[in-house]
Amino acid sequence: MTHKDLRPSDLGKSQEQLIHLDNLMPLSFPYDQPDMEPAFPEVKPEWKEKYCTSLDGCVALDTLQRPQTEAEEKELVQKFLRGMEKVFSDANKGVWQPLQLAYDYCAKCDTCSDACHIYKASGDKEVYRPIFRAEAFRKLYKSHITGGSKLYKRFVGADMDINWETVAQLGELAYRCNLCRRCAQVCPLGLDNSLFAKEIRKVFSQEMGIAPTPLHEKGTMLQLKTGSTTGIGKAAFLDMVEFLEEDIEDRIGRKIKIPIDKEGADILLIHNAGEFVAWPENPAAFAILFEEAGIDWTLSSSMIGYDSVNYGIWYDDVQARKIIEQQMQAARDLGVKRIVIGECGHAHKAAGLVADRMLPAEKKIPVESWIPIMWDLVRTGRLKFDPSKNNFPVTLHDPCNIVRQMGIVQPQREILRVIAPQFREMTPSGVDNYCCGGGSGFAIMHSANFEHFRNKVSSRVKFDQILRAFSDTITDRSVPKYVCAPCSNCKGSMRDIFKYYKATDKFNLRYGGLVELMVNALASLDQPYLEFLEG
Amino acid sequence: MLLGLSVYLAVILFIGLSVYQFVKYARMPLHARMELYPVPRERGRHTYGGSYMEEPEWWRKPHQISRSSELIDMLKEMLFIKKLFSSHRSLWWKSYSFHLGLYLLILWAILLIIGALAELSGIPVSPSVSFWTALLYYLTIITGVVGFAIATVGVILLLMRRVFDPVLKKYTTPQEYFNLLLLLAALSTGIAVWIPDLSFAAARQLVAQILTLSVVPDIMLVIHLLLAEVTLIYIPPSKMGHYVGKYFTYHKILWENEPNLAGSPMEDKVKAALANKPATSWGAPHIQNPPAPEA
Repeated sequence: MTHKDLRPSDLGKSQEQLIHLDNLMPLSFPYDQPDMEPAFPEVKPEWKEKYCTSLDGCVALDTLQRPQTEAEEKELVQKFLRGMEKVFSDANKGVWQPLQLAYDYCAKCDTCSDACHIYKASGDKEVYRPIFRAEAFRKLYKSHITGGSKLYKRFVGADMDINWETVAQLGELAYRCNLCRRCAQVCPLGLDNSLFAKEIRKVFSQEMGIAPTPLHEKGTMLQLKTGSTTGIGKAAFLDMVEFLEEDIEDRIGRKIKIPIDKEGADILLIHNAGEFVAWPENPAAFAILFEEAGIDWTLSSSMIGYDSVNYGIWYDDVQARKIIEQQMQAARDLGVKRIVIGECGHAHKAAGLVADRMLPAEKKIPVESWIPIMWDLVRTGRLKFDPSKNNFPVTLHDPCNIVRQMGIVQPQREILRVIAPQFREMTPSGVDNYCCGGGSGFAIMHSANFEHFRNKVSSRVKFDQILRAFSDTITDRSVPKYVCAPCSNCKGSMRDIFKYYKATDKFNLRYGGLVELMVNALASLDQPYLEFLEG
Repeated sequence: MLLGLSVYLAVILFIGLSVYQFVKYARMPLHARMELYPVPRERGRHTYGGSYMEEPEWWRKPHQISRSSELIDMLKEMLFIKKLFSSHRSLWWKSYSFHLGLYLLILWAILLIIGALAELSGIPVSPSVSFWTALLYYLTIITGVVGFAIATVGVILLLMRRVFDPVLKKYTTPQEYFNLLLLLAALSTGIAVWIPDLSFAAARQLVAQILTLSVVPDIMLVIHLLLAEVTLIYIPPSKMGHYVGKYFTYHKILWENEPNLAGSPMEDKVKAALANKPATSWGAPHIQNPPAPEA
């Protein structure tokens, strides 16, 4: 059987790998040449034994391990079915209605397939088709939860068996979707097929206690325990801020005191704490810009007040709520007027949208994105720039959470038009843009060979968009080409694809946020801020 | 008499079941924010997909709403199935042929009722009486002929697409074939009944008989009417009742765009939703026994 013949009811029929990640979508020049891309590695026998590799040879759910006894197998199936039932109940209040609508009304017209970057990148592999996952969910529900006579079940397509392998493959399949919601944007009925991926993840986590380690154990659990998914506690955070101040002085010769826990400040700025570890130049750039513009702002050092991330929104609503409550608590304790989320897309969605209906209005501090504020500072001349400092090609990546899901589209472009003379759009862009491939947790997931899936499949369309955006200078190594990705997860994806495809070494492709680019163009600065421009 | 009554019953059930479906979704708990941009009611920004959140301190500023652009987008979607047109053109031709045919047939039925009422009150629907009767006469012919033709062609094309497309074939359940076949049966028996008289004088006469509960049955007519009635009753609870679903997916989910601000109507809804403690709970260990923070 080829992958084209696969049907949803084939899930779980065998332990043999259903599809192989070959014949992927061709990449644009110069990656259309032979040997420009690493091959997909062999699936190790020990992975096969321990995890579920039978979907596509990749493993996202490293905490889902093959059962040793029949009783364990049965238990997993039963728990899964119980969880499936609960998604259509008041235990799942916030999603019940949209999910029910998608469950009831999908006409399987297949319009969504062409919108899905994972399906297209994979070379149209059947299992990644958005309706494949949704229909498998529907068939399992109709076969094992909804009652009815044999004839009725045949009539409605309830023809799917269930065993450990089925559940495991479906669990893996839930992590082959970036939850970017591009499919929902093209659906003629306005339905959202990504909900099925998200809800299967929730059944696994909220009912079965199974979720990828980087999201759960080393994600939300660590954050709720220590204050941050990086594991950084308060003392370490304060040290890092001190280091940041020294770093700013070293780089641009300015002594800046970063305000911490300033009561009654106008703005509480919350970064993705990963920035302090991986890209300290980003929070440093915020400090430089806010200080230069004379903003009344502060960081928080209280529990979760210094980490905007909320991995819960990708796999576990209960965890998401706990984190949101603590972030709001931190803001209320400081008595700030507003929360501003730094360059992190999913944190925008978590604090700006998901939190909106999880708490009563009096328990909330208003949340906004950093982008409109920055544009205001640029527009009103409070920050002054010399755009010639950024005289290299720049393209903009639109984080799905900020753009498609929150409608913040123009301010970042307005800023770029001021500070980057060679700014060019990707195609498509704005609300139609493609996910970076790291969305919904992929950027931080690395069990077994999952990163190969990300780099070769889920980030593939984005990488191709980047190549096309820079097609005029791609082979000229002397020209740095900057992908402005104002989101920590998206930056993580860029870092990984540029390394994987050796794009920085070979073609001088660079990535970073928007604020770094702004600082680099500040008229008041004597030297470049972006490291790759030095020397 | 019974046949006439059954038409009334089918129409009442169609409306009643549609309302029932509507109420079923409307009574589900308040959902989380799930907008997708462009949201048409965002005045001035909807053209590129922008929102009020592009403004610093958006909560202090009046939310600029344009009901007219929302209405325009809604009408484009209802009348022309715009989304399908822009994202899946090859299917749009088939689907729109069917849907436009259906709209025309609804109009045709309304025109037949008006015509029947006119004739019952002694005004013959003929092109030679007055401008209005002529208009009614010709419009009935156009809507009926074009409606039946393109709706039937549309259903046949949709059915063929399901049968012959190797991808769709795999995802289509027997019920989904049945839906299309039922529509085809209702439409084709209608064609068989009305084709001998394309002026639809007989159809007008039948409507008058239904209105006065004095239908004179003939076997083909009975089959057609029963099939049409079954279709009417079957549509609302099936996925063909997506006119109900679409109201929620667009207006209540993708285009909702209502922040939970102090003093807003949404605040009351959120408070009511939060006060409703769920009867069902999740079973995972970290939810049943949440760990305590270290710091």
